[in-house]
Amino acid sequence: MPVQQDALWYKDAVIYQVHVRSFLDSSGDGNGDFRGLAQKLDYLQDLGINTLWLMPFFPSPLRDDGYDISDYRTVNPLYGTLDDFKNFLEVAHKRGIRVIIEMVLNHTSDQHPWFQESRSSRSNPRRDWYVWSDTDTKYKGTRIIFLDTELSNWAWDPVSKQYYWHRFFSHQPDLNWDNPAVREEMWDVMKFWLNMGVDAFRLDAVPYLVEREGTNCENLPETHSVIKDLRAQLDREYPGRMLLAEANQWPSDLRAYFSTGDEFHMAFHFPLMPRMFMGVKLEDRKPITEILKQTPEIPENCQWCLFLRNHDELTLEMVTDLERDYMYDEYAKEKAMRLNLGIRRRLAPLLDNDRRRIELMNGMLMSMPGTPIIYYGDEIGMGDNINLGDRNGVRTPMQWDGGWNGGFSTADPEALYSPLMLNPVYGFQAVNVQSQKRFDHSLLAWMKRLIKIRKSTAVFGRGSIQFLYPANHRVLAYVRKLGNETILVVNNLSSSAQAVELDLKAYKGNILVEMFGRNVFPRIGELPYLLTMGPYQFYWFKIRRV
Amino acid sequence: MPDESILSDEFIRELINVGEVDILVGVPTHNDARTVGQVVQCVRAGLLKYFPRARSVIINADGSSRDGTRDLVCAASINDTVGSNLSALRTLHSISTEYDGAPASGTALHTILAAADLLQAKACAVVSPESTSLEPEWIERLLRPVIREGVDLVLPVYRRHKFDGLLIRNLVYPVTRAVYGCTVREPYPSDYAFSSNLGSNFLNQDLWKQEQGRHGTELWLTLTAIIGRYKIQQSFLGVRGRLESPPSDLVMAMRETAGLLFCSMDCYPAAWKEPREPLPAPCGGCQPAISLEPMRVNRKRLHQMFTFGISQLEPVFSSILSAPTHEELKRLATLPENEFALPEPLWARTVYEFAAAYHRAVIGRDHVVQALVPLFRGRALTFLTENRDAEETEIESNIEKICQAFEAEKPYLLHVWDGGK
Repeated sequence: MPVQQDALWYKDAVIYQVHVRSFLDSSGDGNGDFRGLAQKLDYLQDLGINTLWLMPFFPSPLRDDGYDISDYRTVNPLYGTLDDFKNFLEVAHKRGIRVIIEMVLNHTSDQHPWFQESRSSRSNPRRDWYVWSDTDTKYKGTRIIFLDTELSNWAWDPVSKQYYWHRFFSHQPDLNWDNPAVREEMWDVMKFWLNMGVDAFRLDAVPYLVEREGTNCENLPETHSVIKDLRAQLDREYPGRMLLAEANQWPSDLRAYFSTGDEFHMAFHFPLMPRMFMGVKLEDRKPITEILKQTPEIPENCQWCLFLRNHDELTLEMVTDLERDYMYDEYAKEKAMRLNLGIRRRLAPLLDNDRRRIELMNGMLMSMPGTPIIYYGDEIGMGDNINLGDRNGVRTPMQWDGGWNGGFSTADPEALYSPLMLNPVYGFQAVNVQSQKRFDHSLLAWMKRLIKIRKSTAVFGRGSIQFLYPANHRVLAYVRKLGNETILVVNNLSSSAQAVELDLKAYKGNILVEMFGRNVFPRIGELPYLLTMGPYQFYWFKIRRV
Repeated sequence: MPDESILSDEFIRELINVGEVDILVGVPTHNDARTVGQVVQCVRAGLLKYFPRARSVIINADGSSRDGTRDLVCAASINDTVGSNLSALRTLHSISTEYDGAPASGTALHTILAAADLLQAKACAVVSPESTSLEPEWIERLLRPVIREGVDLVLPVYRRHKFDGLLIRNLVYPVTRAVYGCTVREPYPSDYAFSSNLGSNFLNQDLWKQEQGRHGTELWLTLTAIIGRYKIQQSFLGVRGRLESPPSDLVMAMRETAGLLFCSMDCYPAAWKEPREPLPAPCGGCQPAISLEPMRVNRKRLHQMFTFGISQLEPVFSSILSAPTHEELKRLATLPENEFALPEPLWARTVYEFAAAYHRAVIGRDHVVQALVPLFRGRALTFLTENRDAEETEIESNIEKICQAFEAEKPYLLHVWDGGK
């Protein structure tokens, strides 16, 4: 069955996350745009990804990098026009690339006309579109998410002289999802984009949609009810489209967002990501296997979304205090690297630009059960700029070549939306697509190969997983299985060479075929299968009966 | 190169799985099922609480236990095959190996040292499987000085009953202090820690086929550290609780203590004959180390054994002791129990004459050591009598008097050592 007709297409996806603003500026105004993104679809197709996830591109005051939307039904003029978007979508689809867009359901910008109307008077018809209160003491059990900037989840509105509720920045008032009009309007917004052909939505901040007194206002049954309604309408009117949940929660809490397969199709596995970094630093698989053990089974039609880095800080909300302290000490030695409860750094700097560790982490990302996401620029090892505020340090322009503005824009450097990376290690002259295209052993070339091999089999996206637990705790080994196809994955998390004995008795008589070099390894016998592995090395073997 | 042939293939396979570690805690055992489970669980709790980020391993060197001791040690493992443990950042291996030969603490220590060397452990602690009063804090107090302060050997200071450790208080501690110039209260430890540097040095010594490589090895380790002028520290651990055990074999204990002390003096004369600066061994967190609970002791029997020994071993003593010392001891043997006292200076001279006799091998060296047993009983009786109603400070003062006597008599030791009588 062709992928494009498969309702479970998201299980085979390799997703590339990109901000339109950061990718390529075709107009020379210093901001990336849809025309620029469309020009680079060849590059993305060549990389091997088959799904694009676009960060918010809607009109916005850009006080939270577009997550503060002031109009849901058009494109921010900085990034082009609605027609530019339609053209981009069409060209992407022609290349077999699906497009996921952001849908920020929880809140709008305070500049959104809905909020302007709502705050204009207490009798305004849109007053009840947001959550208002005479006091700032309601919902006391609710945590503050942006600890570094916000003191309360309530903000005083001097216009209508009441407090309004906001789970994120105070300029992002929460919509009132108890209001049927809001539900209707937001579904209408989603239909607007679905009708245009977008393949999926990443629903932002879903645990926080509904508030109830006496609770922590997260993951409430009423919120699940909202999601179920949206999913039912989506399935009914737009079959084959997909919903992806952003819910930074423990796996047991996240599980509810899949429900019986009638809420989200996919959800990010937030707790796994920091533990992958922890496992490599500790040289111990325990954090990884432990969190995956706690990860409940999900319905057949659902899938986890896995990532190493994204546009936000490396979140440490879903770790213990002990683990968080360790992560800070090991990965964010400088205070400036820390933000809220997380670490605002890109993949390569987090891993000390160690190619072996970058490869190992990507190898795990691509072989664990779930759909992998690559954050733009990580395929070439881009660096970050911790001197920029908020999370902007990981949102600098894509580095295409060593020329003017790194090939990102023809504007004056001063006019760019963000300074380029300039330092001798991660600057655009050292790290760029053009230079890496020239070498077969560049990180970019390696990533292409990795993605190609990942996509060569459906096992990684759809198969079961069974951990092997070899006595050497520095080695993480698992078997992925789908139908008659079986793949053995062995990862050495250690900085030193390791010997490991694997219990492969169940596959006695089979041979191993290493998937990158296609070399045959000795037949599996009665005794434990001995492998020796170099530092941070990983193997993907097909287990084949000859 | 250390002799790794003492490690079985199976054990080496397990060590490969453990890999390089920062901390190794060794537990030597022999049929300790009654207590070892509690001890390793405390060790584990101490490692998790005080060294959560360190790569650690618990290694049990067992002397053919048949009571399930080894299984109890292995149960302390933390890994992903035995369920979640969110309080632990890392995997913690707790593994057990059975060494060849008869049960002996030295062989167990040899195994632990070889494992520590193979795993490149930066710090190694050894705890007694009988330490029923062991608390997680002990692990911190033993290992922290090694890990954070570069100390090579951490020796324990326990809060002991006033009549516990008579051999240590009357002989081992005073001799070590007077002869080698290092004030360590427990030179023959059962709970201690050492650095990789000292461990490797000790492992590479040519002692493992000799008696001190089987029994009394912990005292030999202390003496090695003192003679090599390693950095030594003492840590106050608290009450030393142990199971009620049958009376120990005093002859064996004398071999492991006096025998080893005499042997070290014989092997390393340069380390004590020439004047040297005292080697400091500061005590971290030291508190009063004596408890005063009433205890019944059979002084009469000690007195009888002293007088019996003096008469029975007359020819032996004649060849070991100087005439004045021998005469004085014989005179003491005529005193009734209630008037008996073997004073500190005489005791010090006696021990030193035994050391010299050992050095000169006037008779079989083991006979020299064994002959000290009845005389020690006389000294023990004196200590018990003197301190029967004493308070803590008085007992400490009496112990100090013993040490000072040994220090004062050191010139006499030098004299008799070189042949003077």
